[in-house]
Amino acid sequence: MGAVVITGVGVISPVGIGKEEFWKGLIEGRDGIEEIIAFDTAPFRSKKGGLVKGFNPKAFIPPPKIRRLDRASQFAIAASQMALEDAGLTIGVDIPAERTGIILGSGFCGVVNSEAFHRGQVQRGPGDLNPILFPNTVPNAAASNASIELGIKGPNSTVVQSFCTAEMALLFGCQQLLAKRADVIVTGGVDELSPILYRGWNALRLTARDAGDGERSAPYDLKRNGFIPGEGAGIMILEREADALRRRARIYGKINGLATAGGASHPEEKVARSISGALKRGGMETIDFIDGAGNSSPHLDAVETKGLRLALSDRCLDIPLSSLKSMLGEGIASGGIRIAADLLILERGVIPPTINYEYPDPLCGLRVVREGLNASIRTILHTGISLDGTYMTVLLGRADGVF
Amino acid sequence: MRDKKRVVITGMGVICATAGTVGEFLASLRDGRRGIREVTLFDCSGYPSQMAAQIEGYDPLDFFDKKELRRLSRVDQFVLIAAQEALTDAEMRPQRGDGGHIGVCLGVGAGGMLSAEKYHRQLLEGKRPRPSLLLPFIPSYATDRLAERYHLQGLRTTITTACSSSASSIAYGAELIRWGEADVMACGGGEALSELTFGGFCSLKIMDSLPCRPFDARRQGLSLGEGAAVLILEEKERALGRGAKIYGELLGYSLGGESFHITAPEETGKEEARIMNEALQDAGIRPQEVDYINAHGTGTILNDQVETLAIKEVWGADAYQLPISSTKSMIGHCLGAAGGLEAAASLLAIHHHLIPPTAGFEQGDEVCNLDYCPQAREGKVDIALSNSFAFGGNCTTLIFGKEDL
Repeated sequence: MGAVVITGVGVISPVGIGKEEFWKGLIEGRDGIEEIIAFDTAPFRSKKGGLVKGFNPKAFIPPPKIRRLDRASQFAIAASQMALEDAGLTIGVDIPAERTGIILGSGFCGVVNSEAFHRGQVQRGPGDLNPILFPNTVPNAAASNASIELGIKGPNSTVVQSFCTAEMALLFGCQQLLAKRADVIVTGGVDELSPILYRGWNALRLTARDAGDGERSAPYDLKRNGFIPGEGAGIMILEREADALRRRARIYGKINGLATAGGASHPEEKVARSISGALKRGGMETIDFIDGAGNSSPHLDAVETKGLRLALSDRCLDIPLSSLKSMLGEGIASGGIRIAADLLILERGVIPPTINYEYPDPLCGLRVVREGLNASIRTILHTGISLDGTYMTVLLGRADGVF
Repeated sequence: MRDKKRVVITGMGVICATAGTVGEFLASLRDGRRGIREVTLFDCSGYPSQMAAQIEGYDPLDFFDKKELRRLSRVDQFVLIAAQEALTDAEMRPQRGDGGHIGVCLGVGAGGMLSAEKYHRQLLEGKRPRPSLLLPFIPSYATDRLAERYHLQGLRTTITTACSSSASSIAYGAELIRWGEADVMACGGGEALSELTFGGFCSLKIMDSLPCRPFDARRQGLSLGEGAAVLILEEKERALGRGAKIYGELLGYSLGGESFHITAPEETGKEEARIMNEALQDAGIRPQEVDYINAHGTGTILNDQVETLAIKEVWGADAYQLPISSTKSMIGHCLGAAGGLEAAASLLAIHHHLIPPTAGFEQGDEVCNLDYCPQAREGKVDIALSNSFAFGGNCTTLIFGKEDL
């Protein structure tokens, strides 16, 4: 792909809201996961979640509108606003509304409203339905509400692809920019952890439970037994490199390569294919850090690490690897928050730890970072691994990098 | 745009209330056959409308064995049926291991809602529902089933922009081919009726109690529908090289946001006009070169009025000579599948010189006074434009042209 750079980030996460608080949380190894008290978890195998704490929508959205917007839409609006501000862009002033697009990853955001609406149908019958709920049952509500609140009139889409949802949105965002269909793209991912979604993940037996060592998000750990659902939003501002340079924007980093592979059989080979594909495009000689997708699920973490070894052979034993999901939990669009973290890592040269890594799994066997690590990071390999056979690799590099 | 790789459509598959194959779809468009009847899929006796374009006389066991069916919701079944036809039509039969060049980009609306609401209803009734009913709820589920069943190992992705989802999927799929991410993409999408969407549109008071009457003065709202359309998008040189049948070329598109309201269109039509203009510009054609518009035409009072205003804004006086129709008059509003089915109708219009009708249209009003084609017409269609407008102000316009334009 041509040169697309990131000039702004906005984050709402279980470890902190706003990029500075988020960054502080990450490098401290702050555990964003805690016992859920917002709703009753008694019927479920899991009790914990990566919930966003202390989010005040009034700081971002005029109060009369807040009531009509679901939490996911509020996250999308707030994080997009922070990212645009961070990029120093005001829509309608620095950039025409028609040339600004929004392409977000989000899959289950409408489920809260769907649940409430359908509960009304089942319990009260068809006579008394709340018309405010239905429009926000659609998965594109978050991106659309953000486009309405922020005045974005360019390409407006929502992308879903299992756990690679935000990475896929990034791919389309890059394409729209390179095809000159927009000059600025707001991209990333949004998740809302609702009681009904929590129930769903539990019913499918995918979540972590206490099997003697506590209920933990423990990527690459021998005793991992499932993921912990999380929520939040990680939003990036994409621009073509030439445009960003022309307006002398601060450039966090560049998308050096992006590749996907699909297929449920022999998944580690597909993971390897996506890594090799991205490396071929990126033309990168070195990888300074691997931002792993490891989400503490027994199968996926093994697939990911096998794929890394297949693609990078012994090289990957020397490259520090960390999974931020140990602190954030897993949302299908948590790739957005992770990419925002990657950009801060490039800018600041600290690798956040993988917490809860106590019993190294020999099957995973990579150089997992347990304590925050200072290092000069010029390039990052970011993996995306999903349940249903989609694998993605994003290579990010410092914009001033010489590889 | 023309210096990029070009994208043609070399296969199609369709299932909807009036047709189980592309051949039947063509015949139904020619005859103006209407598939909107009383819903039997679930009880909707308490709602102000009981009408939808439901697929009837359908036995999933004609297509799938019991074991496979356990993991397929109704929408997944429709998508797989349409995909099978589309791949066969395009003469593509990838075997295990050799479908690496074919990707999937589907548009999905409510997706597996019918299955998820069954789970939810049982839960509320104190029963213990089967967890696998939840699997199809993730919008990318149909995409993955399609890719796995037919061994398509290229990029797979899912777009969800409500009523414009599958139109957007065609735009994004084409972009992937233009940028060399794939040679072939299976695009389009599916939708199954569900109680939630049915009740949802009733709650907004935009459902017609009679079969919908797009652009007609008596229109009272939309009729929902269900089905799937899968289109095989292929890089043009590749298609020519293998001597494939070509339905037409995707000349251009526009994806835009109105940034106005979550359900209502901007009422002067200037935003919809902008998006059509951007698509025309992308295709490198003048408005006057368009031979047919497959309208979004839902049958709601507001949509049809605003869309007509937008067409008048773009075409000026020429708008009155331009054939426009809403195929939703026959197959209902298929939400996530709508853009795909309407792209298929537009391509059939080009390939078979047939302008599909707005079935049941009798009389317009002071705003809706264009040529809405109450009967199908024979006639050359070199360029067709298809509109899909959605909740959230997600607007997509696709422009298709004859292969050797």
